Amino acid sequence: MNRAAHIAILVLFLAFFLAPFLVHPGLVFIAGFAMIQIVFALSWNLLFSYAGLASFGHAAFFGVGAYVAAAALRDGLPLNFVLVLVICAALGAFAAFLVAIVVLRRASGIQFAVLTLALSQLVVILIGYSEFFGHDEGISAIPRPVMNFWLFSVDLRQPLVNYYFVFTVCVLAIGLMWLLVNGHLGRAMRAVRIDPERAAFVGIDVWRVRVLAFTISGAFAATAGALLAPWGQIVTPDYVNWLHSAQPMFASLLGGAGFFWGPVVGVIGLSALNYLTRTFAGLSEVLIGGSLIIVVLLAPQGILGMLRHLAGRTGAEKPGGHK
Amino acid sequence: MILDAQGIEMSYGALKVLHGVSLRVAEGETFAIIGPNGAGKTTLFKVLTGERMPSAGTIKYRGEDVTRMPAYKRARLGFGRTFQVARVFSELDLKTNVVISIESRLRYSGRSPGPWWRWTPSQEVRAEAEEILSRFGFPQHRWGDEAQYLSHGDRKRLEFCVALATNPNILMLDEPTAGMSPSDRREMTKLLSLLKADTGITIIMTEHDMDIIFELADRLMVLNYGEVIAAGDPEAVRDDPTVRKVYLGQGHQHA
Repeated sequence: MNRAAHIAILVLFLAFFLAPFLVHPGLVFIAGFAMIQIVFALSWNLLFSYAGLASFGHAAFFGVGAYVAAAALRDGLPLNFVLVLVICAALGAFAAFLVAIVVLRRASGIQFAVLTLALSQLVVILIGYSEFFGHDEGISAIPRPVMNFWLFSVDLRQPLVNYYFVFTVCVLAIGLMWLLVNGHLGRAMRAVRIDPERAAFVGIDVWRVRVLAFTISGAFAATAGALLAPWGQIVTPDYVNWLHSAQPMFASLLGGAGFFWGPVVGVIGLSALNYLTRTFAGLSEVLIGGSLIIVVLLAPQGILGMLRHLAGRTGAEKPGGHK
Repeated sequence: MILDAQGIEMSYGALKVLHGVSLRVAEGETFAIIGPNGAGKTTLFKVLTGERMPSAGTIKYRGEDVTRMPAYKRARLGFGRTFQVARVFSELDLKTNVVISIESRLRYSGRSPGPWWRWTPSQEVRAEAEEILSRFGFPQHRWGDEAQYLSHGDRKRLEFCVALATNPNILMLDEPTAGMSPSDRREMTKLLSLLKADTGITIIMTEHDMDIIFELADRLMVLNYGEVIAAGDPEAVRDDPTVRKVYLGQGHQHA
C-alpha cells in the first residue's frame, strides 16, 4: 500500500473520530449509521473477495445481531451490553456456520446465491410471525443501555458517549478483519478463491476454509447488527430483507471489491448520495442506480480501482503494483 | 512400492476412457506415462491425484488404500502435483504463492504457521519461500511480481515451486514442458534431473517430448485408448513393435 492510501485512511479515521465536533447531530447520526454499514459491508466482502463466496442473504446474520440485541435491551436483560455484543457475534457465527454446512455441502455459484437468499427470506417470514420480535413492525423505542465496569460506567444515553462506543467497536471490528485477511488464514482464503483445485493440491481443505470464512463473516455481520439496536433504536424486518442484503454488494461494487478498503469507500459514497438527495423523494434510488451503472461501465474495479489506475498512469505506482 | 494402482477403470458417462490400468511405482523412481492424445493419460493422472474418483480399481500409497481419498488429504500424505496448463495463484505475487503452500504444510503437519494476527508470514516461512524461489531461478527482484504476468515457462516453474513447497514424497507432473520454448524445456529438464539426484524424490510424469522421457524416466508405460500396451524400461519400450506402430511412428529416430 502506498503513502497516499495511508494518508487517506488516517483522514477518514480522523473525520469519523471528530465528526461530533465538526458537523450537526443529524450528520453525526448518519456517520454512526455509516460505520455500522461499513462493518456489515466489510463482513460481506471478507466472504466475497477473500473466500470467493457471494452471499445474497447476508442481512439475515445482521438481523440475528440486531434482533437479539434489541430484544435484550427492550426486556432490560441484566447483562453488560459488551457481553450482549459478544453473544450476538457468537449467535451470528453459529447461524452462519449452520447455513454454511448446509449450503456449502454441494452448492456453489448460482445455487449458493439462491440458497442464501432463500434462507434469509425465510428469516424475514419467521420474524413476521413472531410476537416476540414484533411481527412486521419490529422492535422500536429501544432503550440505550448503561454499562457498568469496575471503575467506571459508560452511559449510552449520552449522545457523545453513544457515538464513541459505536466508533470504538467498529474500529476494533475493522481492525480484526484487516488482521484476519492479511494473516495466514486470509492467504489460505484467497488461495481458495483464486483456484480451489490448486489450493487443494497444496493440502488446503477448501470446504473447511469456506465454512470458517462464512462463520467469521456471520459473526461480524451480527456485531454490526447488534450495534444498530442502541444506535438507531429501531429494528425492523427491513434490515433482514434482501434489499439490505444488497447494500454491502452495492458498497463493495462502488468502492472496489478487490480492495479491503473498497466497501468503506462505497458505504461513504452511498451515504453521501443518500444524504444529498434526502429532500427529493425517489431521487436517491435513481442516483444510486445511475452511479452504480457508471461505475460498472467505466470503473469495473470500483472507485479505488480507478484511483489506482490513475495513480499508475502518473507514475506514482511501482510497476507490478505490489505492496 | 510408493504407489500401487490396480485395475483402474474410469468412465465419463457412457465413454469409458480407462480399461483396467495397473501400475506400480517404486520409491525414488521416475515413472513416465506416455501415449497419443486422448489415450487417457490426463484422466489417469486425475484418478491418481484424487481429482477424480475411479469407477473401479484400487490405489495404494505406501500400502494405504487411498482410492477414495480426496485430493487435499492426498496432498497431506505427500502427493504434489502440477497441471498441464500451469495453475498458480495468479493475482498474488511469487513469494505469496510459495508462502501459501508452506503455511498449508505447517498447518496440516500440526505446526503453527504463526499467530492469526500476524499480517506478514513468519521469518522461517519467508526464508524458506525465498530459498525455494532462488533455487528454481527466481532472483530477489522478481519475488514481488504478480504471478499472472509471468511468461508460460516461468509460470510452470513457479507452479513447480508451489508443489515442492509442501515437501512431497511423490511428485506428479502432467506434461511439465508442454508449450515451452526449447530453452525453457532444457532448463526444466535440467531442473528435474537435479531434483532427482538431490532428493531422490519419486516422480510420475506424462510427457510428449520423447527426448525428455528418455533422459529422465527410469521406467515408462504406454497408454493407448485407455489400455496399457507396453511397460518397462525406456529402451525396451522404444523397441517394442506395437509401440512403434501406435505411438512413436515410423519416422521417429532417437540417438
